Amino acid sequence: MQRPLLHIQDLNLKYQNKLVFDDLSWAIQKGEQWVLSGISGSGKTTLAKAFAGLVDYAGEIEINFDIESKLPAKVLFIESWYQFKNIEGVANFYYQQRYTAQQAKDTLTVNAELAHYGKENDLAFADVEPILIALRFASLKNSQLIELSSGEHKKLQLVKALWLKPQLLIIDQPYVGLDAKSREKLNILLDQACADGVQLILISNEDELPKSINHFAEIENGKLIEISAQEIALAKSNNELGEIPEFLKEAPVYSSDLIAKMVDVNISYGEKQVLKNINWEVKAGEKWLLQGPNGSGKSTLLSLINGDHPQSYANELYLFGNPRGSGESIWDIKQHIGLISPEFHWYFDSSSTVWQSVASGFYDSVGLFQQLPYTKSKQVDELIAYFGLTENKNDLLSSLSLGKQRLVLLARTIIKNPELLILDEPCQGLDQQQTAHFNQLVDELCTNGMTVIYVGHYESQLPSCLEKRIVLENGEVKKIEKIKKENHKVQAHLELID
Amino acid sequence: MSNYFNTLPLREKLNQLGVCEFMDSREFADGVNALKGKKLVIIGCGAQGLNQGLNLRDSGLDVSYTLRKEAIEGKRDSWKNATENNFKVGTYQELIPTADILINLTPDKQHTAVVKAVMPLMKKDATLSYSHGFNIVEEGMQIRKDITVIMVAPKCPGSEVRAEYVRGFGVPTLIAVHPENDPQGKGLAQAKAYAVGTGGHKAGVLLSSFVAEVKSDLMGEQTILCGLLQTGSILSFDKMIEKGIDAGYASKLVQYGVEVITEALKQGGITAMMDRLSNPAKIKAFEISEEMKDIMRPLFQKHQDDIMSGEFSKTMMEDWANDDKNLLRWRAETGETAFEKTPAGDVKISEQEYFDNYTLMVAFIRAGVELAFETMVQAGIKPESAYYESLHETPLIANTIARKKLFEMNRVISDTAEYGCYLFDQACKPLLADFMKKVATDLVGKNFNEGKDGGVDNRKLIDVNEAIRTHQVEKVGAVLRKAMTAMKAIKTA
Ligand SMILES: NC(=O)c1ccc[n+]([C@@H]2O[C@H](COP(=O)([O-])OP(=O)(O)OC[C@H]3O[C@@H](n4cnc5c(N)ncnc54)[C@H](OP(=O)(O)O)[C@@H]3O)[C@@H](O)[C@H]2O)c1
Ligand SMILES: [Mg+2]
Repeated sequence: MQRPLLHIQDLNLKYQNKLVFDDLSWAIQKGEQWVLSGISGSGKTTLAKAFAGLVDYAGEIEINFDIESKLPAKVLFIESWYQFKNIEGVANFYYQQRYTAQQAKDTLTVNAELAHYGKENDLAFADVEPILIALRFASLKNSQLIELSSGEHKKLQLVKALWLKPQLLIIDQPYVGLDAKSREKLNILLDQACADGVQLILISNEDELPKSINHFAEIENGKLIEISAQEIALAKSNNELGEIPEFLKEAPVYSSDLIAKMVDVNISYGEKQVLKNINWEVKAGEKWLLQGPNGSGKSTLLSLINGDHPQSYANELYLFGNPRGSGESIWDIKQHIGLISPEFHWYFDSSSTVWQSVASGFYDSVGLFQQLPYTKSKQVDELIAYFGLTENKNDLLSSLSLGKQRLVLLARTIIKNPELLILDEPCQGLDQQQTAHFNQLVDELCTNGMTVIYVGHYESQLPSCLEKRIVLENGEVKKIEKIKKENHKVQAHLELID
Repeated sequence: MSNYFNTLPLREKLNQLGVCEFMDSREFADGVNALKGKKLVIIGCGAQGLNQGLNLRDSGLDVSYTLRKEAIEGKRDSWKNATENNFKVGTYQELIPTADILINLTPDKQHTAVVKAVMPLMKKDATLSYSHGFNIVEEGMQIRKDITVIMVAPKCPGSEVRAEYVRGFGVPTLIAVHPENDPQGKGLAQAKAYAVGTGGHKAGVLLSSFVAEVKSDLMGEQTILCGLLQTGSILSFDKMIEKGIDAGYASKLVQYGVEVITEALKQGGITAMMDRLSNPAKIKAFEISEEMKDIMRPLFQKHQDDIMSGEFSKTMMEDWANDDKNLLRWRAETGETAFEKTPAGDVKISEQEYFDNYTLMVAFIRAGVELAFETMVQAGIKPESAYYESLHETPLIANTIARKKLFEMNRVISDTAEYGCYLFDQACKPLLADFMKKVATDLVGKNFNEGKDGGVDNRKLIDVNEAIRTHQVEKVGAVLRKAMTAMKAIKTA
């Protein structure tokens, strides 16, 4: 009999000194393609890292590569998150940096990055072209890494993996941040890779998967249990949310009926135009869904509202009733807004504690530089308790799992009960139940009159309060319309546009 | 034009050198009001120009740029930086007559020419601002009497000025008003508002004078900050090669070692840095740094004397007039050193190993920081100013060496600093030659503790700790660091 590709025996694994797997045994036979699911914090990522030899473990992990295969005898682990570095090897970026035009180029271009990767792994450049085209990435070849959006960074990671084609490919959260079309394309590419002999372990709770997937397992309480395809999306979280804190039930006080208004707004970097003639109005109390494929300009649009874009000064833009550039500071603007986005999470100061991170939301700073008055610090405690994070309150943000970090930053986003919530893919890294809970919370805040702009690639995972939507494509407004509630056909239609 | 400092009577020299007050945050309650509605025009859009301008505009102020004609016509990088971020850009003729505050952020050596060109265009009672006092103090530039002259000097590279601002913080900043040019007494209010506009007030503002800023800035950068880091790095590398340590390892230890070691310095001063060593290593580092202090003291004093007398700026400007002959030769020589030319090896060095295997650098840094600080204070510079220009900036410069070695350091720092750095390095290496003969690999390249039993004499350890902890730079530092605890750690590969 052929030996299994992966064989583990009596594996003991710790995550931050807590035992997450105790005497685990498992095997992956040749030709098997697996999906691992499980709630946030169940240990999926740690297990995968052990397979790739990236964390310490006790017990045995045996990998039997096929010596006759043309594919590299390698286990490649693709993190759900990754930090790129600048030319000097430093990862010391800040959130607004990608919006600022700077002649002194700090990061590599996509092309240079790929050339470097190809050389390191002995790959032929011709082989990457079709992958770039399939993932609609080819037009980004001359972009700087710092300019890419979170979805585009995800694609770059996937491009590299599909180019390398290792014998065992493990991808943590392959679909996070990808638009619907790209998810479809990715599945096709993964199927092709399987046909070429790659074996997959995908860590995901999604149910749109490559056809080649033929085994499913769920991780629960340190056990790995094989399940059926139907059970995959039912992962349960034990994290029930209670009554929302009193201070979040107060209706926001609006200084103006007009939250944001854009008149023929244009944004470009050199020759490249990223927003074209945008006209859009957001009124107090409205709930918007913002959609568009990866790279269509969604984050740039939101950065204008949050006071983060240097080019907003030369555009006709009104925020909270005032023309932009009429003597207000960016702190005056941010004071009205609670914002979260994948990029914001990337660049957040991970040397803050959980408590400090949430508290910093009162001042819109990345990290806390002020003493909180008593009532405010009480509110921080209450909200942390509401999110079930009390036992982590003094931990460093960087020591938590990505899912938990995200919850902390969501708490930070709403701590000051702002007039406007900007939620740019807020639930990345959360499991289904956490997502559902958070969306319920958004619905509840909405009934109190809060204004919301929400970006989400999954139609099935949106709060129900959303009533209008704006769709961007290639930097232009493609559509502005009301969302029809009961009509499921419309929902299906939305998905296609995205 | 003659050196401004040298025209002053001794009493006034001491007076201006001694201006130094750490400002209470309540002094900034007026925010940017003193500059609200005024036209701020920045000359030059380089590292400081672009980043200060972005901050000032984001603080609600009216900012535009004026560039020399060639830069606009040639669409140079400075022009692109300004226009692509949607700033208004104009020629001197177009914009300077409209400016209420004209901010000069061109390179220091160009200042005389730039200021002579712009001054006739400035409107009556306007303000001229600098981020460094070289032109006013060393070159004695005379500014029209109706014009107010201020300085706002962030103690960080331009990129940090921006990064810290957008995260809601700022970088430590020195402000000053030139006593010869404050006809309406509005200078201080404007300088404070400017510091609020760049976010400096959140990280701590030191009220200084043009004289104190220049004399301490030059001293710091020539000796501990750039000069000694260069000398120490080259001597350490050469020693390891001489003793047969692997070149790749040696290169990596030196390139990244200064950064790792000075990170401890940044967080807890000399005390924290020395505490990272084992007890025997600490005592050894203390002893050899005392020895180095004795050897280098006359050189530090010579640099301070030449800075005070104007001899330094005179020779530097002469070299510039002579097509930078010395500067360019020294730059080329630095590029040719074995350290510079040996790439860092692909070896893993743990954080602690940088201390254990590079005790010599810890000693270099203690000696350099303390000597620079002591020499400045003896010359009449106040301890707070001396702290900023020695201990505070050392980790920032060390970071540039970690990026791309000495070449990168000398590229990032100002040309004044680069010239002074080479001057020091030329003199310091021969001075330390005999000392270096005694140095073995336990101090550089190998773990100091290897093969030693780790025991120390109680009394000796207590004395050493006492000497380190009670040094004045530690006392001043403890107070000033409190105001800056929130500064982000520099993250490196
Ligand atoms: N770098 C630092 O870390 C630092 C820290 C604190 C204070 N400072 C001070 O800030 C000031 C500016 O330094 P920097 O490092 O920002 O300089 P920089 O990056 O070299 O930028 C200089 C700018 O001035 C322009 N310029 C050069 N020569 C000129 C001339 N003759 N006439 C008009 N414009 C000219 C350049 O544009 P074009 O060549 O395109 O015209 C460029 O935009 C200096 O006084 C320096 O001491 C620097
Ligand atoms: Mg300096």
